[in-house]
Amino acid sequence: MSFEIPIGPQHPALKEPISLRMTVEGEVITGVDIRLGYNHRGMEKLAEEKSWLQNIYVTERICGICSHSHATCYVQGVEKLMELAPPKRGLYIRYLVSELERIHSHLLWLGVAGHEAGFDSFFMYTWRDREVVMDLLEMISGNRVHYAINTLGGVRRDLDAGQIAKILEGIVTLRKRSEYYFYIGANEPSFVARIAGVGYLSKENALALCAVGPVARASGVARDVRKEDPYAVYGDLDFAIATADSCDVLGRVVVRVKELLESYKICEQILKSLPAGDIAVKAPRKAKPGEVVSRYEAPRGENIHYIKANGTDKPERLKVRAPTLANYPATVEMLRKGFIADIPLIFAAIDPCICCAERTVTLVSAGSGAESVVRMSDLRRRAIARHRNAPVKRNAVWPL
Amino acid sequence: MPDIEIVENLKRDLGEKALELSNPDVRRIFVKVALRDLVPAATILRDKYDCAYLATISGLDKGDVFEFIYHFASPVANINLRTECPRSEPRIASICAVIPGAVLYERELQEMFGVTVEGIPDPRRLNLPDDWPDGQFPLRKDWKHVRPEEVIPGGKP
Repeated sequence: MSFEIPIGPQHPALKEPISLRMTVEGEVITGVDIRLGYNHRGMEKLAEEKSWLQNIYVTERICGICSHSHATCYVQGVEKLMELAPPKRGLYIRYLVSELERIHSHLLWLGVAGHEAGFDSFFMYTWRDREVVMDLLEMISGNRVHYAINTLGGVRRDLDAGQIAKILEGIVTLRKRSEYYFYIGANEPSFVARIAGVGYLSKENALALCAVGPVARASGVARDVRKEDPYAVYGDLDFAIATADSCDVLGRVVVRVKELLESYKICEQILKSLPAGDIAVKAPRKAKPGEVVSRYEAPRGENIHYIKANGTDKPERLKVRAPTLANYPATVEMLRKGFIADIPLIFAAIDPCICCAERTVTLVSAGSGAESVVRMSDLRRRAIARHRNAPVKRNAVWPL
Repeated sequence: MPDIEIVENLKRDLGEKALELSNPDVRRIFVKVALRDLVPAATILRDKYDCAYLATISGLDKGDVFEFIYHFASPVANINLRTECPRSEPRIASICAVIPGAVLYERELQEMFGVTVEGIPDPRRLNLPDDWPDGQFPLRKDWKHVRPEEVIPGGKP
């Protein structure tokens, strides 16, 4: 007998509230259906009525965690349309904030992964670390979440010598702590055994379903816009694409860990070669007719904006594709043949926002239609209980 | 592979299918094809240019015609396939048989522009609510949002 479990739409496990319907047989998920749009805000239509400058602040509010990503993707596209060349110092500061944002997003995600796997000390360690980078971002931009550092033609705030020293100091601390905590992760066999083999996504499926970001890279697809399409400063920087071949949640953890270490490297390179000069040039009010495709590697994957100008001070069309949307078909594939107890963990492996709240999941009996309501915390408790008695996977190793 | 080489190869492989070919920026290539050539062109891109990854599909309301841009990406370039269909007969073919990951973007085109994607495996709405009225397509230029008058239940008439 099969049951259908609706999860959401009030569910911050994914960035936007989303409704998932799982068909389960016993503990095994046999079918997944995703319904979007609970919180559809019509931003693409709204953008057609705002000026080029106002739209920076609209795009910044597409997402809370990677707010800088959308704004940067938009700004670098509009700068191409307006034929602006932002000063090098401005660009370096802009992409320094990008990398710091990637660090805070990945640290947040690692904590969530630890929490969902029942390893709460890992969660507390990484979240304590994250405060270091949040403080740095606050020092640079004045804000912890919406940095608002981008403007057309550059950035809005400069860095002084004291701030640079503080950021470098912070990165040294972060790197030391990260390495230490990852050592702890490697020496905790129950943690590795819990996440190994969960949420399998084969390389063929990752390619066919157009997965992006760490999800694709954990399945052995070396797809990173910073390397494939080196925008702005990334051509000058030395870094590697992090990949893993295990195609599961463990692989996604490893990819993000490696990316953290690469991001520390990038930040140091940017700060050490920060050129002198202006941080912004003046932007015109209107853009000539034209079109541009702007790509950007956000913490969760490729972000793509298609912008068309018609010669006025407003865009003709702004098409936004966020990385989470691209990963939905892959998510369906990962959940299929998984266990109910793994739902929180597989969710967490796609998107970090599951930390937001304790959620309500309704279990509906397909036969009788009777509903029973369980909280996300109970689901998590079940997951931990189920795996407490499971044999430790002897062959699962921490590949770092 | 430099852009110029990709453009030359595209000219050869697509032949008469390519109505326009331009390379406005580094690693940005725009190709225009007729509506009937959309699926064959996507197949060529996937098989010969390593473009198994479709980033998204952008729709555009240009008055008499709708324009659809399929943003493909390979490790070396971003190839954008452009096609047009008349507003009076909004029908395009689904490319899901070639790129299975395209289904979400095609569903979005259906609800936002009122275009019929023929052969789509899952024709439901993507973003709009269940009680959205039929025949309202928000991203068409002639569609304007009218805020419904607020009625307070039990309030004064």
